[in-house]
Parts: sequence; structure tokens; C-alpha cells
Amino acid sequence: MIHRHNYDVVIIGAGGAGMRAALEASTHARTAVISKLYPTRSHTGAAQGGIAASLGNVEEDCVEWHIFDTIKGGDYLVDQDAARVLAEEACDAVVDLEHMGLPFNRTPDGRIDQRKFGGHTREHGAAPVRRACYAADRTGHMILQTLFQNCVKNNVEFYNEFYLMDLITENSPVTADDGAESQQGNTVNTTPRITGVVALDLATGDLHVFQAHAVIMATGGAGKVFRTTSNAHCLTGDGMALTLRAGLPLQDMEFVQFHPTGLAGLGILLSEAARGEGGVLRNCDGEAFMVNYAPNIKDLAPRDIVARAIATEVRQGRGCGPDKSYVHLDITHLPRDVIDAKLPDITEFARTYLGVEPYTEFVPTYPTAHYTMGGIPTTLHGQALDASQNPVTGLYAAGECACVSVHGANRLGTNSLLDTIVFGRRAGAAAAAFAAAQEPHATLTSAEASQAASAVVAELAALRTRTEGERVGQVRDELQTVMDTDAGVFRTDESLSDALDSIKEIRQRYASIAVDDRSLRYNTDVVEAIELGYLIDLAEVMATSARQRRESRGGHCREDFPTRDDAGHLWHTVAWRSDDGTVTLGRKPVVNEGYEPMERKY
Amino acid sequence: MIPRRDPAKRAVVVPQRAELTSWVIMRVTGALLIVLVGGHLAINLMTGHGVHSVDFAFVSGKWASPFWQVWDLLLLLAGLGHGANGMRTVINDYVRGDRARLTWKLVMGVVVAILVALGSLVIFTHDPCPHGAPADLLPSFCG
Amino acid sequence: MEITVKVRRVPEQEGASRSVVGAESSGEMAGAAQPRTGKARTSTAPGYWQTYHMEAKPTDRILDVLMALKSEQDGTLTFRRSCGHGICGSDAIRINGKNRLACKTLVKDLGPGRAITLEPLKGLPVVKDLVVDMEPFLAAYRSVLPYLIADTSTTPTTERLQSPQEHARFEKTTKCILCAACTTSCPVLWTNPDYTGPMAMVNAHRFVFDSRDVAAEERFAALSDGEGVWRCRTTFNCTEACPRDIPITEVIGELKRAMIAQAL
Repeated sequence: MIHRHNYDVVIIGAGGAGMRAALEASTHARTAVISKLYPTRSHTGAAQGGIAASLGNVEEDCVEWHIFDTIKGGDYLVDQDAARVLAEEACDAVVDLEHMGLPFNRTPDGRIDQRKFGGHTREHGAAPVRRACYAADRTGHMILQTLFQNCVKNNVEFYNEFYLMDLITENSPVTADDGAESQQGNTVNTTPRITGVVALDLATGDLHVFQAHAVIMATGGAGKVFRTTSNAHCLTGDGMALTLRAGLPLQDMEFVQFHPTGLAGLGILLSEAARGEGGVLRNCDGEAFMVNYAPNIKDLAPRDIVARAIATEVRQGRGCGPDKSYVHLDITHLPRDVIDAKLPDITEFARTYLGVEPYTEFVPTYPTAHYTMGGIPTTLHGQALDASQNPVTGLYAAGECACVSVHGANRLGTNSLLDTIVFGRRAGAAAAAFAAAQEPHATLTSAEASQAASAVVAELAALRTRTEGERVGQVRDELQTVMDTDAGVFRTDESLSDALDSIKEIRQRYASIAVDDRSLRYNTDVVEAIELGYLIDLAEVMATSARQRRESRGGHCREDFPTRDDAGHLWHTVAWRSDDGTVTLGRKPVVNEGYEPMERKY
Repeated sequence: MIPRRDPAKRAVVVPQRAELTSWVIMRVTGALLIVLVGGHLAINLMTGHGVHSVDFAFVSGKWASPFWQVWDLLLLLAGLGHGANGMRTVINDYVRGDRARLTWKLVMGVVVAILVALGSLVIFTHDPCPHGAPADLLPSFCG
Repeated sequence: MEITVKVRRVPEQEGASRSVVGAESSGEMAGAAQPRTGKARTSTAPGYWQTYHMEAKPTDRILDVLMALKSEQDGTLTFRRSCGHGICGSDAIRINGKNRLACKTLVKDLGPGRAITLEPLKGLPVVKDLVVDMEPFLAAYRSVLPYLIADTSTTPTTERLQSPQEHARFEKTTKCILCAACTTSCPVLWTNPDYTGPMAMVNAHRFVFDSRDVAAEERFAALSDGEGVWRCRTTFNCTEACPRDIPITEVIGELKRAMIAQAL
């Protein structure tokens, strides 16, 4: 049986962006939030260090410096109008969160306290500035809880543990007018109009068809493409992959951020806040090596630079440990009360997982796949764009799965939480405004709903009935190993070519995987198989995009092209699938509002 | 499967402060009992020849004084109140089903009521010099 | 090293309730559909024990063990997981009889040479294997108005001021990740599913002691009746179970004192 629902706005994902969008949309339109997890399980909760806003509560700061830092941090691949929106709306976004109840740490005079963070500077790079508003080292946790609390307060409707399975599209020519800044105005295009989604209710195994005027993707990143990652097991890029399968493009997918300080061997995140509070990275000789890579702001350089510095130290034989495979994070010189008050969670991670006491011992760290800068290209109001840059009617995206692009080639720490709040709100408002102007959908008949879900029914049936085949975990492990080895911190044309060959082979094997669990309820075995399909799609797009970009910029480091090439490569990569299934690449200009690219020194 | 009722739709609506009052009573009677029981044990067991001096005459002698009448009445009320309240929580925690709980609490209430009635009756109607009793068993002031 | 893992397997249960937050009716339906039978209240979950043998490192998380079992031996093994490092609260289960997060418990923490037992949380309906229905738990959460209710007559354009001392007053309860380890460790809940439970009290505390909040009395009302704070028997199970080291019993004590102070 297929259940039918009819809403104005359907939001996929209940993390920071999804719930912020829901708070906005639900006051204006009938809104449902579909989430594969209970909302408070979302990975926004793992964000630690802070959320950027030039409040200037503890020292002088201004919006313009924030814009500049964001653009420079993103290695000039940031759309500068988007960076302006991000920085300009940051203070309101943070104050708004405070009014919702977020328990920020406070200054002695009762205002929101701020700390230093990588890449955030005063006077265009002169010195680090205290711009990150924080709640101990669990800022993301507090944002997630606060948003969920307000969703409870506003009676937002959640469909928890529902998995997005498909987008429902309508292929009629449509006009785009959501009030967004679509340069093309009312251009008629043949891009599909999105009219709803098909979702799987994990608890019952039933399929649900949700009709909606606007669907907002807020499904987060795709870090599970890699083996060593700070990302949750659920971050399989569902929204990005299904957008791709609907014939729409993804942008800048070659740019993956490797966070410098993951717990060595595990990938669990140790916040940059550790360095913001004064922590120092040391190699096996005890040398604070960041001075060699960023003489000015040293350990507070942007993440791509620090991650490469660590990887370089290890490659050149100055790593620590029996295999010389990691470096040390040293916070032993910080007062214990500062560690307890400002870094309690990450010190506990070191104790729990590595048995290291950060008060007195160095913590082994190594870069870990952390954030996908790329994603679904959108307007400044969160509306998705097709391959010819026309807005897609009925589809919006916000947060990590979107690419506005405010992060360019490398995201600054604390800008992602800000991104979810600012562009989550914008997408929610735009989607609700668009939906409000539409006539309600005629509710689908049972037969129409079955038709809409037929592809999903077939996919699920095939997975549940196949008796012989490889295990999901085995294929997934191989994919992740390939991506770690060949498309990680350092890349070459050869490694990326190898990666693509491997992905091609893995895709063939994926076609005949088999699952053990044939039950209906809570069949996580089948769900993991479907997620693996998304990962394979996205890995292919990442490697293909990375191979085309023959330069090193931000998080994308090509050893065969070690410098940035503004003359030849100052464009966004746009990737979509052709009818024959191959990944096709296009280019899109970067929006420049006057910040000309310069050498990125810190 | 253990169902959960909506808190707003519980069958029995307990007055707002009943549980708070009961919690406070538990602490107050607890503290009171330490003093009362301590005093009781000290007088009865540690003075004179200890437990060997406790006999009819001893008890009658105490109850001739209004001070000890009030002391023992308080001991009776605090002890039964504290114990009954404790039993009530035990019933709440361990007896399953609203009806069974109510039944047990009623039984306990009746028993407590009987004990309070009997106890106070004894304290206030006690005759220290019953007619015809051997004089060596009676308090010294019986004439 | 070779380890033995005994997992409580529960076949998929009919009538797993839907979890639509905001639609209060769904919680009721879940309750109404289930008769309150004596059998339902048995302390052991339904199902059977299944024993697995596998290789593991002493530093492996129990979650790693579960994922390896699912990936290599038995895909039907069902459990929740997400972040893998104790911040999302998905994988609270009973490990060797104690409520813990599977991702914060290492094989070496459990003592060598004996089988590791994994069971679903007690006191919530088991849906399948280690997965329990969270809806009753979230209903308790909603009952204490778990959101800031500020005086809106004076909303400033900047942040509301709060001193570091005022912030410190409730900071410990902001750490809650709603994993249910505390509530399902409470013996009062095991026999009385209507009990508000420690998690909801922690989340009431988070707002009652927030200097910006003005709705303490309304939360006290929700915590006042026979299923509220006065039912706490201070067994300290919750404090011991909390993976976030929240001193829950102390928190409940603070609530009781605040409620008495308010009543006087």
C-alpha cells in the first residue's frame, strides 16, 4: 500500500538547514519535514567550534572583513554576492538563535562570547580576530537542540526515520518565478518541475508519496564516500545523488575539505577551537611546524593549508608514532580550567578513544574528510539551478548539500553552521512564498501514487529478492578505500584516473549485490544498499570533476598542477549526467563583486 | 509493549501540590522521628537498669505526665505517617494496575486508621492504677 | 582477539508506532492500540539470544563490533547508529546489562574473556532487535515544554544579556543528547511507563534555571503530579547511565528544591 500526503512544502533532512527552513516555512505554508534520523541525531550536532558573526562583542570586527576572509578562505572560488549575504545576515542569524534560547558562552558583561578560528582575521589578514560565537565545544549540538526545541514549540510536523527514495518530476515547460534573483526571469525551459518525493518509512517498510509545491533538500554532506571521515554513518549524500539522478547538476564536487585534526586512525573530529584557544601542532621533533607554512597566523591558517601541512610533514618522515603516521596536537600548556570550560568534549574524545590525557599528553591527529564544499547549485534564495543556470521550479536546497557558493574551494571553520542558518532560512522563506502562490495540488489517486512510486517499488523488490551477490559492506569498504587513496588530500591525474576505473568496476559489482534482511520493518540492510548507490554516484562525480580541474585550489590539491591557475580555471565546475549515464562537465563563471584574486598567504 | 498515556489525559488527576506535600511530610516526619525515637530509646533503654526496668509501672509512670503523652502521640503519628507514605510509594512503584493499586492503598489506609485510633486511645485512656491489681506491679503514686 | 557477542534478537514487531513529532495524535494512537497487559511489562525483552564469534581489537567500539557483524556475518542484525562518537545519541543500548552508547564503549572497557551481551533498552517498546520505539520517550520530552519561553514584551534587537554565572547555572543540562540511556535505566519507569523520567527532568531543568526563561511554573505543573519529580527514588541509575556525565539525580534534586521554594 502506498500512503499519500499533500503539503505545500516538504523539507528533506532535519539538521541545521532543514529545521531552520522548517521554522520559516511552517509559519506560512503547510510544511512537512522528512528525516532519515530523529532530528536531534543529525550531524549538525557534531559541529563543535562555533558560528561566525562579526558581532564585535570582544574586539573590533566588521562585516566587510568577514566577507573578505570568506572569499580569500575559499581561494577566490566563492561567489562574492553570496559571501556578502552570508556575512551581512550573520549577526541577525546569531541573535535570532540566541532569542530562540541557544545557550552561548558569555562575556563578563553578559554578551555572546567569541573566540578565534582558522582564517578569520582583522583588517584583511593582519591578525586573527575573535569572530566565532560558541557554546563550549558543542555549538552545533546546541544549535540542533535549539532548533528542534523551537520546532516542538511551533508544532512542526516531522516524519522521522523516513528515507528519501525518489523525486517526483513533471516534465512540462514551466516558468520560474519565486521572487528569487533568477537572472533569466521567466525563461521557459525543459527542466523538470519537482512536484513531490517518494519516501520509505523505515518502521513499517511502507512507501509514502508526498506531493508538494516546493521540496527543500537539506540532506547534508557525503563524507561517507571516504573511509577516514569525521562524518556520521548517515552522511551518504542522498539529496545530492537523487538530484543528480533527476537530470540536474551538481557544482564544485571536487572540493572536499579535509579537516586537519581528526583523531588519528579514527577520523573523529577535534575542533579547530583547540587551536583557536591556543593549541599548537607539533611534528615528531616537537617542532611547531605551522610557522613554516603560514608564518603570520600559523596554526590558525585555513583548514586546507593546515591539512596539507600535516600530510606533508608525515610524507617527509616527520610524523609521530610507531609508523610516523600522524602529528601531535599540543594543548598541554593551556590552563586546565580553560580546557574544562571551553574544550570539554574533545578532550573527552581523546581520553575515550585513544586513552590519551590531553592535560599532560599530546593528542595524535591526522586529516579527516570533513565537508563537501560542492553540492546542488542554488540561487541566493536557495532555489536549485539546472545545467543552463535556470532556476528549477519546485526544488530548493540549503546547507552542506547545496552550493550557493559561499565556501568556494575551501570552507572556513564556523561558516558552515552560519550557512545552514542563513540559507536555511532563505530557502524556507522562498519555498513557502512560492508555494503560497500556487493552487493546491489535486491529491493523487491511488493509481497515480503507485505509478509515481513504481521505480522505487521495483528497486526495493529487486534488492529484497536477490539471493546471490556480494555484501554491501564489502563493496562500500572498497569504494571508500579507493577514494581515500586516489582522491584524498593529494591527487594526480593518474590517481584520479585509477579512481574512475575502480569506481566503474565497483558500479558493476553494485548491480549484483545482495542483502541478508528480507523483512519489511526496519530493514537497514536494504537502506544501506541504497545509500551505497548514492555514494558511488557521488564518488564518480567527485573524481570526474577533480580530474578536469588541472590546478591546485583550496581543498583540491593536484600534485601534478601544484599552483592555482586563475587565468585558466577561475570557474565553477558543473557536472550532470547525460542520458547515457556518463558524467558531463560544464563551467560556470564565479560572481565577482570586486575582490580580485590575490596570492593566498597567511 | 508498554503503552504510555498522554500526561494531559491521565485517569486520576492528583491535586497539584499533593505529591510535593507528601514529599515534604516525608522529610519532616523523618527528621522528627530521629529525635522522637532517639529520646524514646534513651529513656526506655539507657536510663536505670535499661530494658529490665520497663514494666507496667514504668509505662504508667511516663503516661501520667502530659509531656510523655504528647511525645508518644507524636511518635505514633510520625511513625505511622512516615511508614504509610513509604508504603504508598512502594505500592505505586510495584503494584500493577490502577484498581489493584487503589485497593491496596485502601487496605493500608484502614489499617493505619485502626492503629492510630487504638494507639491514641491507649495513650489518653490509660488507667495507671487499675482496681484490684497487685500493688507491686503498679506505679508508686497509686494509693 | 577473538570475542563472543550475544545479541538479543527480536523479530520485527507488528504495530510499530509512527513518530510524527507535532502530531500529538500519533503518540496517543500508539498508546491506545496496545492493551496494558501484564505480559507486556515483563522486564526482559521478547526474542532470543544469538551468539556471534568474531575478531576485534581491544580499542574497537561496540558500534564497530555491531557494524562488522552486520557487514560481514549477518545483515539482518538491526540497530540504530549515526555519528559514531557519542554526540547524536542514536545507539544507546544495554551492554552487559548497563545502558551505554555503543560508540562510546570500547571492547577493552568490558573486561576480557567473557561474552559481551547486547540488548535493547528496557522500558520502551522493542520494535526489532536493538531498535526501540522512541515515541513514548519524546512524548515525555514534549510534556515539560522543552523550549525557551522568554518575556516577549521586551525582546531586544541584540542578544539578551546573561552573565557567565547565570549561564553556568544550567549549563550542565544543555549537554543532553536525548539518547534515552537515563530514562530507560530508571526502575520506576520499568513498572510505570507514565513516569516522566529523568530525561524530561533534565530538559525541564535546562529551562527552569535559564535566567532568560519565565515559564518555570508551567514546567513545575507538568512535573508536579504522581508521575513527576516526586516519584524519583534517587537510585542514581540515571546518573550512572548518562554518557554525557550529567549529574541527573542532583539535577532532579535541584528541581525539587526549586519547586518547594516556589510552593512556599
